[in-house]
Amino acid sequence: MSGSPQTGQGVQVAAPARRSTVIMGRQDFVSVLFRAINAELYKIRRRMMSKVLAIIGILFIIAGFVILSFTVASQAAAIAQKPATEFLPLSCIQASKQSCATQADLAKQAALQSATAPLHLPNSFVNAVGMINFIGLFLLVTLAGTIVGGEYHVGTIRLMLTKGPTRTQFLLAKAGAILACIAITFLVLVPTGIITGTVLMFIQAPGIAINFSFLTGMWVLHALLYLLAAILGLFVYTMIALCLSTLGKATVAGVAGTIVWWIVEGALADALGLLASLGRGPLNDFLKAIPDYFIGNNIATLLSNQSRYLEGGQPTTASDLHALLVLFFYLIVFIGLAWWVSERRDITN
Amino acid sequence: MNDSLPLYDGTTVINTNRLTKAFGNLVAVNDLHLQVMQGDVFGFLGPNGSGKTTTIRMLLGLIRPTAGRAILFGMDNTYQLPAILQRVGAIVEMPVFYPYLSGLDNLRVITVNSGMVAGKANDHRLEEVLEIVELRNYAKLAYRKYSLGMKQRLGIAAALLNDPELVLLDEPTNGLDPSGMIEIRHLIQRLSSLGKTIFLSSHILSEVQQVCNRVGILRKGNLVKQGNVNELLRASEQIEVRMSRDDQTEYAQGVLRQAQQQGADWIMDVTLEQNMRNQSVLMVNAPAFRSAEVNMLLAQNSLFAAEIHPREGSLEELYLQVTTSSPSAGEHVGMEALAQAPGDTGIETPGKGKGGNK
Repeated sequence: MSGSPQTGQGVQVAAPARRSTVIMGRQDFVSVLFRAINAELYKIRRRMMSKVLAIIGILFIIAGFVILSFTVASQAAAIAQKPATEFLPLSCIQASKQSCATQADLAKQAALQSATAPLHLPNSFVNAVGMINFIGLFLLVTLAGTIVGGEYHVGTIRLMLTKGPTRTQFLLAKAGAILACIAITFLVLVPTGIITGTVLMFIQAPGIAINFSFLTGMWVLHALLYLLAAILGLFVYTMIALCLSTLGKATVAGVAGTIVWWIVEGALADALGLLASLGRGPLNDFLKAIPDYFIGNNIATLLSNQSRYLEGGQPTTASDLHALLVLFFYLIVFIGLAWWVSERRDITN
Repeated sequence: MNDSLPLYDGTTVINTNRLTKAFGNLVAVNDLHLQVMQGDVFGFLGPNGSGKTTTIRMLLGLIRPTAGRAILFGMDNTYQLPAILQRVGAIVEMPVFYPYLSGLDNLRVITVNSGMVAGKANDHRLEEVLEIVELRNYAKLAYRKYSLGMKQRLGIAAALLNDPELVLLDEPTNGLDPSGMIEIRHLIQRLSSLGKTIFLSSHILSEVQQVCNRVGILRKGNLVKQGNVNELLRASEQIEVRMSRDDQTEYAQGVLRQAQQQGADWIMDVTLEQNMRNQSVLMVNAPAFRSAEVNMLLAQNSLFAAEIHPREGSLEELYLQVTTSSPSAGEHVGMEALAQAPGDTGIETPGKGKGGNK
């Protein structure tokens, strides 16, 4: 520090050496940012609320698969009770009895496999992500709103901003910590869901073997892209919470605002779709096109375009590029607005 | 008026140049020229709402000034705030920490945000600061369970974590019992002896008088006095004179005023007042040690004093004097005042050193 250049204000006061017990880290932008993210994650790890939210998330996934397993079990039981002859393929009419019996058994097995599919891979992966997308929205938005709004509400922002990180670093550290939390949520809850589903499948429909032939390099790649799309989706919603909490200087502003946004957006998309379907013409086309610029629709597009590689299905009409551009636009708007406000804001009581 | 700051010799730690903050129509801080030198224990005084905390917040970059600049360690805090904050430890009003974390965990978070490395590398430093503020036994207790005094002490620990050169303390004794206040006073003196610069905002004038070598007094956002404590107190010393006959008091006033005009420039003012016993007395604004000379001037004119009381100045009197009287042009310390000779305003020029009142 003593070697720092002079400013136009005169000679800089040379910094004396600190005590040997004070061990300073690197002071470049990225190092300070990563330390600030580290501090945010430390705070999250230490607070009871995060633990409660994590337990709620895990219980929700387990409960989701338990409920799914009852549906699966009833379907599997119905199939198991039917005689194999009911699964006799049409081609068996002219075939020999022995081969037909084998084919009927195989067809019954396939029907059982299909009925239990939601509980085991690959479908359980998609189901787990779907459940996390739903519950994660509430949990992570609550977390995001709290870690930002709480700083203003409690007044700790005053302490943090007088310690070194700039307001930009402070905001980015919050966003970085939230992103890390989203990733951790998926890393913990997806395996939880898959394991729960598999265990429940063995309990509810014993004797069903899992076919791992789906597990190719391409499947893993699309599974990864599917996860990234889901993470991006939740990240956009948490950034709304971050922005609104910053604007409102309160947790409730971020949490309630984001959930209202999510509900209104979904309802509006349905209403516009309904209105558009009532007639034909440019106005209807316009109304139909509006939801293409909604957050939820674009997240759904990204997920659908990947899930068809994971469990089959049809591609959507919207492209990944369109969805990504729309979502990044929202991210820039929300993070930018939060940054703009926090840069200009006076930190008073 | 030249807006640029004069070049200093590298020992000015805080230097504000026309620092102003307005909240709408309310001017909280007006045209503030503040100078704190390296090693100073600077007392920042003023009534509630005079702009002390706003000034501290502007120095720390929490509040953007409406006009003017704050230069700390020769760096403009608009552009080089992170580098400045690396060298500053601060308590702004009542310190607030994360209620769900223990005192130690709160300090760990601050350690990382203060530019220090994360992990156990700084554990020894954490122990040191907890020891300084005597919170070692309560380090693992949740912050929400801390008493007011413990919270204040944790705030001081947080301010000292990265061994800063400048410590800004805004009402550090708030919520502390008398023994806690004494401890803080000793701590300030200890930090000062280690070469730290202390900027202390306080309402407790006796405390400021005991620990500070320089003070600045704010009134309605204006800096009305700034300077060495001893010099300011000397300037507020008075000699109370009661004449043997009441009808001589006015005449004696004329004699002393005449003497002032004829060269006794140590007499700053002579006023006629009533003392506590409702007697007419003369209040001579002059150093207390000039009492004998006052007596001699009167005697030379066949005027005989019944009582002469030299009154030593106190910060309390000075404070009341400058915060209750209407501001005069001479009191306002602006750029013009800074340009005057130090003796004229009671303001030291940088590098002049401190008189010390410790």
